[in-house]
Amino acid sequence: MMRFFSSPHLHGGNRSQKIMLLVIVAALPGILTQLYWFGYGTLFNIIWATLLGLLMEAGVMILRRRPVGFFLKDGSVVVTTLLLALALPPMSPWWLVTTATLFAVIFGKHIYGGLGNNPFNPAMLGYAICLISFPVSMTVWTAAGQYLNLADQWLWFWTEQGQIDAITQATPLDVIKHLSGSTIGEMWSANPDVVAYKAAMLWINIAYLVGGIALLFLKVFTWHAPVAMLAGLAVMAFLFGAGEPDLYASATDHLFLGATMLGAFFIITDPVSSATSRNGKLIFGAGIGILTYIIRTWGNYPDAVAFAVLLMNLAAPLIDQYTRPKAYGQQS
Amino acid sequence: MIQLYDFPGGIHPPENKELSNPGQLVTLPLPEELIIPLGQHIGAPSEAVVKKGDQVSKGQLIAKAIGSRSADLHAPTSGLIADVSDQQVAHASGLKETCITLHADGKDTWHANITPADPEQLSDDEVRQRIYAAGIIGMGGAGFPSNAKLATDKPIHTLLLNGVECEPYISADDTIMQVDSDGIVKGTRLLMRLLGQVKCIIAIEDNKPKAIATMQAATADDAAIEVVVIPTKYPSGGEKQLIQNLTGKQVPKGGIPADLGILCVNVATVNAIHDAVYLGRPSIDRITTVTGKGVNKPGNYRVLVGTKIDFILDQCEMDASANKVVLGGPMMGFQLPSIQVPLVKTSNCLLVPGVDEFPAADAAMSCIRCGQCEVVCPAQLLPQELYWLAKSDAFDKIEQYNLMDCIECGACAYVCPSQIPLVQHYRYAKGVIRHKAQEAKQAEHAKLRFEAREQRLIDEKNAKEERRKARAAAAAAAQAAKRASQADGDDPIAAAKARVAAKQQAAKAQATDSHPEPAAKPNHKELKTAAAIARTKLKKAQKAFADAAATDHPDTDKLQTTVNELTQRSAAAAEALAKFESQLGVDPEAIKAAQVEWAKANAKVRKLTKLAPEDDATEAVHKEYQQTLDAAQKDLQQAESHLQSLKNPTEESS
Repeated sequence: MMRFFSSPHLHGGNRSQKIMLLVIVAALPGILTQLYWFGYGTLFNIIWATLLGLLMEAGVMILRRRPVGFFLKDGSVVVTTLLLALALPPMSPWWLVTTATLFAVIFGKHIYGGLGNNPFNPAMLGYAICLISFPVSMTVWTAAGQYLNLADQWLWFWTEQGQIDAITQATPLDVIKHLSGSTIGEMWSANPDVVAYKAAMLWINIAYLVGGIALLFLKVFTWHAPVAMLAGLAVMAFLFGAGEPDLYASATDHLFLGATMLGAFFIITDPVSSATSRNGKLIFGAGIGILTYIIRTWGNYPDAVAFAVLLMNLAAPLIDQYTRPKAYGQQS
Repeated sequence: MIQLYDFPGGIHPPENKELSNPGQLVTLPLPEELIIPLGQHIGAPSEAVVKKGDQVSKGQLIAKAIGSRSADLHAPTSGLIADVSDQQVAHASGLKETCITLHADGKDTWHANITPADPEQLSDDEVRQRIYAAGIIGMGGAGFPSNAKLATDKPIHTLLLNGVECEPYISADDTIMQVDSDGIVKGTRLLMRLLGQVKCIIAIEDNKPKAIATMQAATADDAAIEVVVIPTKYPSGGEKQLIQNLTGKQVPKGGIPADLGILCVNVATVNAIHDAVYLGRPSIDRITTVTGKGVNKPGNYRVLVGTKIDFILDQCEMDASANKVVLGGPMMGFQLPSIQVPLVKTSNCLLVPGVDEFPAADAAMSCIRCGQCEVVCPAQLLPQELYWLAKSDAFDKIEQYNLMDCIECGACAYVCPSQIPLVQHYRYAKGVIRHKAQEAKQAEHAKLRFEAREQRLIDEKNAKEERRKARAAAAAAAQAAKRASQADGDDPIAAAKARVAAKQQAAKAQATDSHPEPAAKPNHKELKTAAAIARTKLKKAQKAFADAAATDHPDTDKLQTTVNELTQRSAAAAEALAKFESQLGVDPEAIKAAQVEWAKANAKVRKLTKLAPEDDATEAVHKEYQQTLDAAQKDLQQAESHLQSLKNPTEESS
């Protein structure tokens, strides 16, 4: 019996799994740097979130009577849970990771019909829901380089017991947000810990930038969205910060603090929830950059990539509508 | 050197062209049987001018073009016409088509009419006539008759020779450029002569260094012909992509290259034009690449049009393990449902992949909107959007997204990480849209017919009314004349006047009334009605009588009399009708037979209506179905009118 295939009979060998694997590999420098500065917490987040994510996806597939193995092996859920785990603070307890994963995988992805159908970035949805619901737990960060040993972290993860007051501290973006009269320069000199933290964040951001550039060269995504986001953020920071450097963080600080590079290269490049055409991606990315700046500077939350991404996810279909490229033969 | 502009999108699949030894041409032995399909070009199928049992010589005309987009067909070798019948042809759905079967006599003798000519001695019209008579169509795959293309009335400034051959595996054009550059250049000069003041560009992809060198050498002394080397990128050989690459301009939507002053011809076609004009040889053979790891002797073969594909593959030693044959290249070719079909003028490649050469696609996964398809789309469409729209049957919207501009190059499916058979989805949607357009056209036609009928009925009614009025006037005049003659018997002049007036009125009435007045004669319809009424009355009476008898009603006797009376009346009416009908020639047996015929035709139409093909069937299937249905409906109409004419001979005779 002949099997019939429609043309083309050749395939380039590209696979979704390959893309997902590349994304995970490219995130490794960032992950390792993050582990180096902030300890085992992130590792716990990753393992727990991934385990739960896979279980949840399998559960949904069973409920929907779909082949479990076929859908698990696309690897998309692992990417989602990995990015979520990286975004969560290192001192997250198990229930926080569980809640975030539940909302990311079930409510962020499968409620809409699974891979390819979700309007929002699932990781950012899970993150944002937890940030709104548990603002205290979601902002417990350890000081750079000072973290619990493995046993204590284990204990903390499951029971939230342990001496962590000594090692937790506000993030630099927090500090910038609550200047309370002093200038940014004064703030930095008054808080040497924060300066060390800033350095850690710089390294982490550089590591994600390197991984992101590698993905760019591997053509996993196009440059449009990341470059537009970074440009949007930098231009805003320059517009407001150049005149009053004492009150506003510099463009460099904005680019290399918080989740900027993770967001630009690993989160907003999620193709499913972003605008589709290349011109659309420019607008989508720029919108995220601008919104990130606005929320960071004047909003209630110190970091804002998650909210900016979700807001632009909402706008993506509209952007698509207006950025449709002209087909061949329609340009005069 | 001219500037290149590139074109958007495109991919670089493995070329695998060396597999078929480009540049080495092998002529296949003469097959015993040739099957020449009548519809090898884009237009209407040609009409066979030979019949079973005819003896033909090589190059003799065997089928004549029908319409401007059709082309003549010629005997590829000498022999006997064995049949003119419907046979399976190379079609993705295995459709049948009328074909001429030729049994070769092995002598391969040319027809006496095949004579060389010196084009210098020929007028332009004679050159065009030779191209037309040779039945040349676009050999790159389009199948557009060359003489029709040359007959453009748009001003042409550039003749573009397409020697790009961008599809992997294929090296037929590469080969013809290497072995017959002389023929191509001579053919090119002929075309340039016909088109007037034009320059010529021969475009070749940079992966064919030998063809480039040969063509450059052959055109070195001609400043008007330039060989342009373009970078290898699929689908750079697409006419639209090539034009964009060379000029930076796009052929307008719905337009043709001639709108930009460009005439684009495939190199093999130009070579055929040379053969036609210089040698007088019609288009009866071509160079076809037979390749893939499933054949032991891949290569470029000169094959006669009509050679059966199984014969060719046999000659090229197809591997027993090969499990599919693709007609065309790996990107745009289609898998043949059967290899017992003939090769045609447009078949440039037979691809027999080895067992693992084209691994079967994995099950399609979800689209993750990665947009890689958009990056490679040469038509600048949004393949991912088209996919969702096709999947959700949003046909109106998908047209707004320019689905019809998709050239089905397959670049999107080639890069799709989810292995979605995108092109198949687009073909489905295109099929539905074409089908809907056809339906809309038919509905419009039906509406026009309905309106025409309504108008006709109104006109008839009005005419009838006029006739009635005229008759009434005539009758009134006659009455008046009669009265006048009675009243004024002693006034002959007045009486005469009145008579004349009455006559005139009557004549006028007669003139308006083109139909003979049916009321004047015993009327068939009336007789029928009378008989039917009598029968009904009789039945009613019989029933009443039965009821009365059952209940011993006092009126029973009275009813008995009525029934008797009515029986007589009914018999009389039936007799009158039968007499009338026998006079008219109505044959009850014939009517019965006609009724059976009608019932059969009706059942056939009903059955066919239920068998309508699925929406996703190919256009050809829909077309075939529509033709069958039309034929059945026509049969039904004929049966109906035949039946009516038997029943009512007067209406027909009037």
